[in-house]
Amino acid sequence: MPHQGVKEVTENETSMVMLGPKDRLIGELHIEGNLRVGGTLEGQIEATGDVEVTEAATVKASVTGREVSVNGQVNGPVLASKKLVIGRSGSVIGDVKVPRLVMQDGASLSGNVQMGPQVAAEMAPAPAPAEAPMEAAVVASTDGQTEDRPKAKRR
Amino acid sequence: MDTQHAVADTAPIEAGEDGVESRRDGSNKITLGPGDSIEGKLNYNGHVSVQGRAEGEFRVSGNFDVASGATVKALIEGANVSIKGEVEGVLTARDKLTLGKSAKLHGDVTVKRLQIEDGASFNGHVQMGSFEQSSGS
Repeated sequence: MPHQGVKEVTENETSMVMLGPKDRLIGELHIEGNLRVGGTLEGQIEATGDVEVTEAATVKASVTGREVSVNGQVNGPVLASKKLVIGRSGSVIGDVKVPRLVMQDGASLSGNVQMGPQVAAEMAPAPAPAEAPMEAAVVASTDGQTEDRPKAKRR
Repeated sequence: MDTQHAVADTAPIEAGEDGVESRRDGSNKITLGPGDSIEGKLNYNGHVSVQGRAEGEFRVSGNFDVASGATVKALIEGANVSIKGEVEGVLTARDKLTLGKSAKLHGDVTVKRLQIEDGASFNGHVQMGSFEQSSGS
């Protein structure tokens, strides 16, 4: 048990972070699990699980996740290793790199789109916990640096 | 401007059930069957539906449909553009672009509305909501 910093998170379990409509995050967030944003977010977010941007949310950040769904506003590049869904109230301004993209009527998108199986191949299918067993913290507050380890390793 | 030439591979287009100039909701329609192909520049006041092969420049006042199995390499401009086949080229939809689940689109698009179904593939730049340069048809 080397890593007991965050209680809800164990190695094989995904965590869930929710930011309510009045919450605000400015900075970098790396999470081994799912993220749901209802408020304001600025900076950089990276989730190994799914990212959901709800209707009230305003995100000015680069967003990385497995399955990303946008019903609010996203201003920044979006990378999804599985799929991006832009709902009818969703808006994405930024470059999109995803293997699959679903856009509902009414959704808005401005940017460059890269799609297809080759995108999936160049992205990590799933982060293997075996490779870096120590590093699976929700927010690496101690090392203060960017933590894009799972992706970088998997290439 | 008005260079229009169509090359039909198979039988000459019939004005029968779905051929050229069939009146549907008051406007003209061209349908190119699976064996048909067109190459060139087309300015058309009506709808165009492609099931075969098309190459060139197509500006239509109505809708432009690319059926499943069709291959289009062209500049496309239409009111509603719906794609189920393979398209390579610059595309403008004055109203809406729909990519069906079997669609493969490679090129930059300018659209007012955009709908993409799961399974569609798209590579290119998306610009939504402005038509200053290309609405002169």
